[in-house]
Amino acid sequence: MKSKSSKLTSYNRWGYFFVAPFVIVFAIFSIYPVLRTLYLSFTDLKVMGTANWLGFDNYVRVFTDKFFWRALWNTVRIWVVNIILQLGLAFLLVIVFSNLNWKIKGLQQFRIIYYLPNLIAATSIAFLFQTLLDERFGTFNILISSIYKLFGASYTPVNWLGSPNAAPYTIAVIQSWIWFGNSFLMLMASVQGISRDYFEAAAIDGANTWTIFRRITLPLINPIMMYVAITSLIGGLQMFDLPYLMITPTTGSYDNVQTVMMYLYKFGFTTGSIQTGYASAVAYALFLIILGVTIVQLKFFNKDKN
Amino acid sequence: MKHATKVLALMLAIILGLSLVACGSGSSAPAAGGGGDGVGDGDGGKLVVWALADDMKQFGERYHELTGVEVEVVVIAPADYPTKLQTAIRGNDSTVDIIMGEPQMLDEMYDYGAFADLDALGAGDYADKITDYVWELGKDDSGVQRAISYQVTPAGLYYRRDIAETVFGTSDPVEIGKLFSDYDTILETAQTLKDAGYRCFASDAEMDYFSRDEAWVIDGALNVSQGRKDYMDMVVKLYQGDLTAYCSSWSTPWYQAMGGPVPILSSDDNVWSEDFEKEHADDEKVEVFSFALPTWGTLTLRDHVGELSGKWGVCAGPHAGFGGGSFLGISELSKQKDLAWDFIKFCTLNEETADWWIEASEGDVVSLISAQEKHKDDENPVYGNQKLYAFWSEQAQYIDSSTVTRYDTAIGEAWGNAITKIKQGEATREEAINEFLDKVQSTYPDLTIDREAVLS
Repeated sequence: MKSKSSKLTSYNRWGYFFVAPFVIVFAIFSIYPVLRTLYLSFTDLKVMGTANWLGFDNYVRVFTDKFFWRALWNTVRIWVVNIILQLGLAFLLVIVFSNLNWKIKGLQQFRIIYYLPNLIAATSIAFLFQTLLDERFGTFNILISSIYKLFGASYTPVNWLGSPNAAPYTIAVIQSWIWFGNSFLMLMASVQGISRDYFEAAAIDGANTWTIFRRITLPLINPIMMYVAITSLIGGLQMFDLPYLMITPTTGSYDNVQTVMMYLYKFGFTTGSIQTGYASAVAYALFLIILGVTIVQLKFFNKDKN
Repeated sequence: MKHATKVLALMLAIILGLSLVACGSGSSAPAAGGGGDGVGDGDGGKLVVWALADDMKQFGERYHELTGVEVEVVVIAPADYPTKLQTAIRGNDSTVDIIMGEPQMLDEMYDYGAFADLDALGAGDYADKITDYVWELGKDDSGVQRAISYQVTPAGLYYRRDIAETVFGTSDPVEIGKLFSDYDTILETAQTLKDAGYRCFASDAEMDYFSRDEAWVIDGALNVSQGRKDYMDMVVKLYQGDLTAYCSSWSTPWYQAMGGPVPILSSDDNVWSEDFEKEHADDEKVEVFSFALPTWGTLTLRDHVGELSGKWGVCAGPHAGFGGGSFLGISELSKQKDLAWDFIKFCTLNEETADWWIEASEGDVVSLISAQEKHKDDENPVYGNQKLYAFWSEQAQYIDSSTVTRYDTAIGEAWGNAITKIKQGEATREEAINEFLDKVQSTYPDLTIDREAVLS
């Protein structure tokens, strides 16, 4: 008995050996940077050189800087509008494609089409929409104007990307256009995992489309909804590429679309304003915010389970 | 069997470990664009250059032809350049020999010791051979020479000679320069041109290069000069007075305006109204009189003027201004500093190279004073056979290198944002300036800011 136990112990040691390569790589490329960033967030390091200990000064600066809070508000505002549109559209399509009575054909093809925007590089999307949304000569304003003219009305052009009131929502709509296909794909896969028996039984009992969706589909896809919501939130709070590429700092709408990641980038990587210590503190502040909101989200989704 | 399994497991683990080591060593080498160790690479050796633009490839090929030294040029976008360079320096990467910087990057690069001391290699002997402001910009705070540029980039006003003759009765650069001698005069000139059916500028940001009359920060305090404020007021008046063609700089219509008429719109014009076409049937297009660009604008215009080639001229702006310029230095970590210094001398201090580059680049303006002298009588047919080398050489003498600071990008962008808000009516002048000051304070908490002085 004793010797069997020692053999087991000996065998277990091989396990450490097998996982060692991953653990070493993970420690070097993930754990070390995370801890190093935490250390730097308490220092005054600018670009390179000596890092002097500052205590919590950087964190005080982050949480008392109105531009950080404005950037956070911009991020949340763009994300909320984006997620409502993104999930709303995805759900609508799920209802349409999962309805047994309508029997919509070509789900495979539609899935590809809806997912396509996700495959286009952000730089290409930024350039495309900058051209389409130009205030004076953009196709979008030309189309709206044509519709107005059909009804004999005059259209005042909207500066979609330059106006402080319009730009954040424009970015949100473009974001939802990019991501709704991804959400649809995941939600649809989840719906297809539900046994058809439930839907057929409900249909026989006379339940309408809305009731089936609310009482059967929605509760059964709850885990995947939670996944979509949390990943979207994490991605949304780290939003950077589109607003950064589409709105330059001298544009009038810049202060309304600067996200927390753009704020961080300014201090982390922009020539002349690099303050690595402070940028690290901003990164940790964002991490804490994301962590807090994710915990709230998890509690919300697990409420019914409990 | 058990023994065999253990041996197999051990082999797998070793293979995994080795592959990791291989991955690790592979990831550091490509940072120099596959430069390898670079040192003593046989023949004449090999230099690795991290460049900001393709120009360096031509210099590298030329150097290779003449010396046999291979020059590997890795072009990196300016936005990514500082990050890549800092990573290389942190990693003690000695494979890069020559590094580059634009004027606004240099102070930061000096601070973190990116550049080697060129004085130690004898750079001081060449001080009087390079245009003053270029030489000065290449020095760090202690006066040590760290970088040299092969270019000078003073700004000038490119104007249409044919329109000048029609409206002002002269196309002489000196006379036209007087029409742009200060911001009030510029507004009067712009109004005269508008009354004559032209527009003075394509965009309202044209005079930006001339607005940098003083440094943004002097002795740790924010300095918003009267010139900056006057520039702000002028831009607002240009925009609100319909004195430009409302093109954004670097946009397609902006380039089109170099080659002929562009659609003309006022800030209040509703291009979507039904009556727009009727109302603007006769005057919907307009020709633009001038563009303000540094020396490299000579090439930009040349490529876009089309049939208007030969009808352009260049004159001085209200102040001395400049924009851009690539500075070459030796990486502090390079193990081939002597060879690298030879390459830098070849690019910046060699008259034959300067002659070759002037021809190869079709008009770039070099910083080597002897080459400027030699080419002062060169005529440029695109600009009515004007002797541009003589003009640029003179303009370069007025440039004050002390106006360039590490703060320029962030503060300049915040100032530009304030101007946009005022001209578009989204904020009053006071609100926009207050917001600008808040932004500067947020970005640079250590700066002293005298709000009242700025707002006055």
